[in-house]
Amino acid sequence: MQRMLLGAMVGATLVAGMPAFAQDTDRSTLMTAHRGGKLTLLAPGFDGSIDPQIAYDELTWQIHAVVYDQLLTFQKADGEASNVVVPDLAEALPEVSDDGRTLTFKLRRGIRFSNGAEVTTADVRASFERMFKVASPTSDKFYTGIVGADACVAERASCSLEKGIEIDPATNTVTFHLVAPDAEFLSKVAMFHASIVPADTPPTDQGVVPPLGTGPYMITEYDPATGLTAVRNPEFKEWSVEAQPDGYVDEIHYTFGLDSNSALNAVLNNQADWMFHRVPTERLGEISASYSDRAHIHNEVSYWLAPMNTTIPPFNDVRVRQALAYAVDRAALVNQYGGPNLATPICQHLPVGIPGHVDFCDYTVNPGTTWSGPDMDRARALIAEAGVAGQKVTVFGDDRHNVRENALYLQSLLTELGFDAEVKILSDSLYWNYINNTENKVQMSVHRWMLDYPEPGNFIGALFTCANIREASSSNVNLSGFCDPTLEQMIADANTATLKDRAAGAEAWAKIDRYVTENAPAVPLYQPKILDVFSSRVGGAPIAFSGLASVTLSSLWVQ
Amino acid sequence: MTTSSDSAARHPDAASRVTVSRGPWATAVGRILRQPSAIIALVVLALIIAATAAAPIYAEYVSRTNPFATALSAKIWLDGQEVLVIQPVTEGLGLGTIPIGPTWGPQYLVGSDSLGRDVMARILYGGQNSLFIAGIATTISLVFALLVGLCAGFFGGIVDTVLTRLLDVVWAFPVFLLATSLSVVTIGRSFDFGLFEIRADSIIIPVLIIGIVNIPYIARPVRAQTIQVRQSEFVTAARGIGVPSWRILLIDVVPNVLPILIVFAPITVAISMILESSLSFLSIGVQAPESSWGTIIRENQPLLYSRPWTTLAPGLAIVLTVVMLNLLGDVVRDAFDPRMKQED
Amino acid sequence: MLRFVLFRLMQMIFIMTGLSMVVFLIFFATPGIDPAANIAGRGASEEVLAAVRESFGLDRPLPIQYLSMMKRMLIDQDLTSFSNRSYQVLPAILNSLPVTFSVAFGTAVIWVSVSIAFGTAAALTRGKLTDKLLMTIGLIGISMPVFWVASVANLFTQHRYQDSWLFSWVPPLGYVPLSEDPGSWALHLIIPWITGSILYIGLYSRLLRSSLVEVYHEDFIRTARAKGLSETRILFRHALRTAMLPFVSLLGLDLGALIAGNTLIVELLFGLPGLGMLTFRALQSLDLPFMMTTIMYGSFFVVLLNTLVDLLYAFLDPRVKDARRN
Repeated sequence: MQRMLLGAMVGATLVAGMPAFAQDTDRSTLMTAHRGGKLTLLAPGFDGSIDPQIAYDELTWQIHAVVYDQLLTFQKADGEASNVVVPDLAEALPEVSDDGRTLTFKLRRGIRFSNGAEVTTADVRASFERMFKVASPTSDKFYTGIVGADACVAERASCSLEKGIEIDPATNTVTFHLVAPDAEFLSKVAMFHASIVPADTPPTDQGVVPPLGTGPYMITEYDPATGLTAVRNPEFKEWSVEAQPDGYVDEIHYTFGLDSNSALNAVLNNQADWMFHRVPTERLGEISASYSDRAHIHNEVSYWLAPMNTTIPPFNDVRVRQALAYAVDRAALVNQYGGPNLATPICQHLPVGIPGHVDFCDYTVNPGTTWSGPDMDRARALIAEAGVAGQKVTVFGDDRHNVRENALYLQSLLTELGFDAEVKILSDSLYWNYINNTENKVQMSVHRWMLDYPEPGNFIGALFTCANIREASSSNVNLSGFCDPTLEQMIADANTATLKDRAAGAEAWAKIDRYVTENAPAVPLYQPKILDVFSSRVGGAPIAFSGLASVTLSSLWVQ
Repeated sequence: MTTSSDSAARHPDAASRVTVSRGPWATAVGRILRQPSAIIALVVLALIIAATAAAPIYAEYVSRTNPFATALSAKIWLDGQEVLVIQPVTEGLGLGTIPIGPTWGPQYLVGSDSLGRDVMARILYGGQNSLFIAGIATTISLVFALLVGLCAGFFGGIVDTVLTRLLDVVWAFPVFLLATSLSVVTIGRSFDFGLFEIRADSIIIPVLIIGIVNIPYIARPVRAQTIQVRQSEFVTAARGIGVPSWRILLIDVVPNVLPILIVFAPITVAISMILESSLSFLSIGVQAPESSWGTIIRENQPLLYSRPWTTLAPGLAIVLTVVMLNLLGDVVRDAFDPRMKQED
Repeated sequence: MLRFVLFRLMQMIFIMTGLSMVVFLIFFATPGIDPAANIAGRGASEEVLAAVRESFGLDRPLPIQYLSMMKRMLIDQDLTSFSNRSYQVLPAILNSLPVTFSVAFGTAVIWVSVSIAFGTAAALTRGKLTDKLLMTIGLIGISMPVFWVASVANLFTQHRYQDSWLFSWVPPLGYVPLSEDPGSWALHLIIPWITGSILYIGLYSRLLRSSLVEVYHEDFIRTARAKGLSETRILFRHALRTAMLPFVSLLGLDLGALIAGNTLIVELLFGLPGLGMLTFRALQSLDLPFMMTTIMYGSFFVVLLNTLVDLLYAFLDPRVKDARRN
């Protein structure tokens, strides 16, 4: 998923041996010892609505993780454990029947919204209906499998999912009826757009007025220009430490508006506890040397890629695309990003952390499991074969750090390979919509693809399938314009396999990964990690669960 | 304000110093060339222009790099050792890289930027763009500010009202919105004006934008000065005896307004260079990987904490140019000022 | 006099309306700008975009959209942002104004006083070292981009020498309202003020020096000397008053532009949530209601300050008032 790249940090693995952070075993002792205080955070600014069913950026999702709950959620743990879907508002994982088309959830009793009202089955259905009514960005991507959802997409205002979501207040159950079995449905239910809000929440984008939630914190103040404040939700009682643990701090406060250098200075001076901004590359050395005890590195389930337009020359020839994939000096790009401890070269389209990922790299000098170096000879040979030397290519990038550098590098590389290459750096506000629009005939661009949930369909299934090609639209995620019936069939088969057996499904996706990689609709560049820097008073074992949000705020203490 | 003809009569020494006049222009040039500061300024400016013109030679023979290509893995020989231009950090967590700092040698004189490019070579190439854009834009600003200010101040009435309100609009105009818009409209397209074609990344666009944006600023004092002159007894008298307006403008008003233009010229050059870099970031004008002094400062801004020379060096280039222009401007102004006691 | 003010008021309204239309047109005429895509957020599907278009009335004819937006802005006064649906534009802007005013006026106070000092000193010591030194310092000031100066200021005050005696008094970046704590308000603003004024000091001291030098050649100065007035009196009572005229007229332009949003860079780099920052973010997210309103506010201040300056000018120099009467 292409979410706002606000310099987000997301990830799972805690680098071992960080002395400032305790590996807790007895949470209640820790909770007594460290409860209280105010967590001061810095962020560039929230971009857009705070409505959980509209918000689609990593920063907003960070606060949503501790304010809202869904029927299921990704385990708030570190590492691979956070890929596991656990019950949140539901008591347990659903009972699946009817060949996977019916899922029955039993709602927990006694969970209350911050105004004291208990969460009921009516709230659950109303929340899913509301997703369509407010035109949630993923409503017609992920949730059309629910019976009746098609009508909701067509006629949003009057959306009714009576047939698709059956509720029974007496037994407190919610039953989903799907049109067809969906291997990824549980993950989709765990997404933030499926947060459960009170049924009487107005069916329009709430903008700056946050709907009520059930999490350990509630938002009390929000001014998009200056900041956000959240305090403890008095109605919250921890019901599942895996799904929604209670937080240590009493108050969370974001201040907006600083640039990344100033924010980093503030954190290093202990004027703030953490910053959302990405640590400027040029300060990494300073952090490495002088502040390593306050730094954390998290894996991120995302990757940087350069999609190539497969419908127009020169990239409509697969040999040319492969040539680029061979020629890219991934080590240099990794260095430019921050070094091998912050990024690893990637030669495939399922990053580490996604089921189906198997280490392999063919686009290198010595093919094997990892990348070893660019193969310029092979690249040149392929280009000569295709006979495209001298053709005009324009690489697009935006003016944010890193995208810009990658685009400039690619232009240099293309020139070296014999193309007449130009680079165009667009303003951030225009870039994404511009490169999406097929009318602009963008040949090559650069961006980072972040997951919505840890499933291979969220990567290859989103980036390279025919359904995601939209002509003349600002929303056309398949930037390569890659549409291959063989791939479509392979994906359908893999989905069917996953429904029966996840392991078999993963194997099928691994084969799909190889297939896509061979066809090179995009050049895979590298998989980044994220560096978090904390103030010296922050403690706790920072959890960042599987790419859905940055550091989980409930895992940090300040006193 | 007194005028030239007045002061000649009033200078106590005037009578004794009447010589064969060489005409105001030759006199002025003579005066200019006699001032050491003017010579210095002219020489330095000429050197700057020559250096920027010689950028390709510098890049090929001195720096031996391509200042427009990224060189993330480049190496150079330094003190007998081969070092990476972009060096990975090994301390502590081993994160990040740091570009090589000033070598004060032929290669990477003031260091490398984050893409491995020789900043000095980029400064020389960038100078071409900066000088050209700032030069033309400043000329446009000065010429039109003069015209608008003169007309508004001299003719007054409705002409004045319309012109000053127009200036208000230009001054309040959301330039960056326009630039953002233009940047999209011009991608991959060009404007056909029949006789000539403006390419999308043509320099003309930022030149025009910068030139126009600065006009209200300079026009106002020009206008104010024009009004003052117009009110003077001399001008009233001249009109009374029927001297045509254009003559009054040319002979009496313009020389009095010239000092203002001369004060603003170097200032406008500096402001133009900086403004141009903002427009570049909105994809108007100088485009990556090309450079101008302003864009070099901007793109190396993140290196401030570790490699300050990458922003200092282009900044010094701007300062040097502007100071020299200013020196020259001072002398020029004095040269045209008849009240200065000069040795002829 | 009244006629003058009314007339200018009418012109102001004319200008602001014109500008708002231009902003509107630019926004919709730019092919890469799809307001629906910006509102719906990235990753929205075509159907969602269509729903958003309908919901925001983006498919209605342009004049209707313009008029309805203006109505909401001026009459209903409940205009809301495109990016943040229930975020009201007018209160946000009103909240940001004190910050921008604080920055702009403080900067102006510093640059005016320092420029007068430098310009006068330079004019009086004309040709000597002091003159050349001051003017060179000024030129260096003009050549340094504000964003660079601000970054260096932060580097020194917030990072490298933060703990030293020199800068330990510098508080963390941000804004404290004057009503809350005047002392803290000022402390937070001192470095931003100085940073912002550097550019203008160079310009204005130059200008004043030049004007002063010209004025000193004037007949009336000679007359005053002949009458036996002291140099100090001549300077302050006569010379400066005339020499300040161009100075004042430009001051209005710059102050207007500052308030209209030129404080942007200072606000961004020092974390001050003023009108400049709002305008910048509006442009970044192409949030049309915010863009229109901030630009209109900006133009209002530009024209207002120009008018005030013209009035001041007339007050200072009676010859100019005569000119207008023609």
